[in-house]
Amino acid sequence: MFACNGNVETFVLFRLSDKSEKWIEWILLIATCISAVAIIAILSLLVAFCLPLFTLGRIRGVLSSQWQPSGGYFGILPMCAGSLALSLLALSIAFPAAMGICTLLHVLARGVFNRFLLATVRFMTGIPTVVYGFVSVFLLVPPMREWLGAGTGFSLLTAAFTLSLLILPTIVLVLHARLEQIDPILRLASEALGLTPIQQMRHVLFPVASRGMVVAAVLGMGRAIGDTLISLMVAGNAPQFPVSLYHSIRTLTAHVALVVATDSRSMAYQSVFAAGLGLFLVTGLITLFIRKSGKAGREVRREKGF
Amino acid sequence: MEETVRKIMEPILSVENLSVHFSDKPVLQDVSLSLWPGEITVIVGPSGSGKSTLLRAVNRLNELYPHCRTSGSVRLRIHGESGDVYRGFMALSELRQRVGMVFQTPAVFPFSIQKNLTLPLQVYLGVNGSTLTERMEEILRDVGLWEEVKDRLRDDATTLSGGQQQRLCIARMLALKPAVLLLDEPTASLDFKSAARIEKLLLNLKRRYGILAVSHSLAQTRRIADRVCVLREGRIVQELDHEHLRDPDAFQTIIDVAF
Ligand SMILES: Nc1ncnc2c1ncn2[C@@H]1O[C@H](COP(=O)(O)OP(=O)(O)OP(=O)(O)O)[C@@H](O)[C@H]1O
Ligand SMILES: [Mg+2]
Repeated sequence: MFACNGNVETFVLFRLSDKSEKWIEWILLIATCISAVAIIAILSLLVAFCLPLFTLGRIRGVLSSQWQPSGGYFGILPMCAGSLALSLLALSIAFPAAMGICTLLHVLARGVFNRFLLATVRFMTGIPTVVYGFVSVFLLVPPMREWLGAGTGFSLLTAAFTLSLLILPTIVLVLHARLEQIDPILRLASEALGLTPIQQMRHVLFPVASRGMVVAAVLGMGRAIGDTLISLMVAGNAPQFPVSLYHSIRTLTAHVALVVATDSRSMAYQSVFAAGLGLFLVTGLITLFIRKSGKAGREVRREKGF
Repeated sequence: MEETVRKIMEPILSVENLSVHFSDKPVLQDVSLSLWPGEITVIVGPSGSGKSTLLRAVNRLNELYPHCRTSGSVRLRIHGESGDVYRGFMALSELRQRVGMVFQTPAVFPFSIQKNLTLPLQVYLGVNGSTLTERMEEILRDVGLWEEVKDRLRDDATTLSGGQQQRLCIARMLALKPAVLLLDEPTASLDFKSAARIEKLLLNLKRRYGILAVSHSLAQTRRIADRVCVLREGRIVQELDHEHLRDPDAFQTIIDVAF
């Protein structure tokens, strides 16, 4: 979805350029069409597979709260709740941390430390998800089990900590980019009014960047909902409602992965498509929201420069 | 008469042998000047001569730039006590409250007009409730903005005209009850009428504050200045007072030579 939108923009940009570069236009146009077609195909496939659920009146069965294929129960609601709880929890850990890091980057840290911090965050974006999961199984799961008595240690909380590490760099970089765009004179002015660096962030810079904060949070949330591997590896995968931080849960994404990998009985399969459709729509809505607020943001943005 | 009064009074601000370097490039060299309460001192000089840097050196705003180095002293006199702001005379945030600053381009926060004024009062002075509203009205009246904005206090401050925004910035600075005002070309981006309003306001304010201003306009300098410092390539090359300012042609010649 992202790639598709990007292509459309580049295409429009190139239209103004030299005639000899016309073939670039064509390549981009074709690429755009392919991505658009792919997305429409995926959507229709999902809808087609989900259709029997509606026509045969099985939707009730899927939207119920028990998953027990052997007993004929195919409810995915626990997984929906699991996904929601896990991503919200990860966001509520990662977002304040990201605000702290941005405060360091913008008003507190200087010189070498500042560059080191930013480089670290950029480096984190490149770490494969499986590494986070793997490390967490060895470093985070045992203490959760022993110190907090969190059952097996594979729990909602363990997964939330790990996932928050994964989405942290996304949030930091989006927020950082927005803060960079703020006219530096606002920083000078708030400094000249006697506000301490922390007060400047709290009362001036963050409020000015409020739209960027919403976008960063939504983007982080989107990544958290879409992630599969971390919940698969450390959340425990028990198909139950997230009633406690120390209980094991299963997310929609992990559910899809597990069912597709192990089972192929028809009703279970259809429930997977329902899960897929749900995830697709959620991420689609998030993308749409971000593009919308991005446009609005551009209109109100203040000119940069002294 | 005026001269004798000034002699027995001590300056509210005295800059001594101030030098500022930006990554080893000298921007100000050995600058000394004094500011007396009740007077407007205007700094003039070509673009890039270091006028803004000099103002920012007084309230230590240059320290925001990591590659900036400052030497010399800036002595401030508050309630009979005086000390060097570069040698721990007062905490940084107190210095910023005592020495207010307005920038070349109006730097209003993109919040409501009301919030622009109340933010420093609430955050810095902890003023709240009805005192806050009273204070706000009083200051807006001071800068002649009350009648223009009293019905739209909740509008975004960026919807004000340039001159109104600049007066709001002056109001925001006055809200903290400073002793010294630093004004960096406060009328630079304004039309003739708005500029005239601000000049009138400054002449009004100078009775209560020591004012150090930068101006690009020689006509304006003649209208508002009690003393003029001519800055060129980071040095003060000439200081003028009332006598020089009286005759426009003589003033023009002196400035021409100095530039
Ligand atoms: N943050 C900074 N980093 C590096 N150099 C700077 C910085 N601020 C100012 N300078 C340099 O210091 C010199 C003086 O700048 P300053 O802004 O004080 O000039 P000015 O007299 O205010 O000019 P103008 O009338 O155009 O506003 C310039 O050569 C400028 O390049
Ligand atoms: Mg300047």
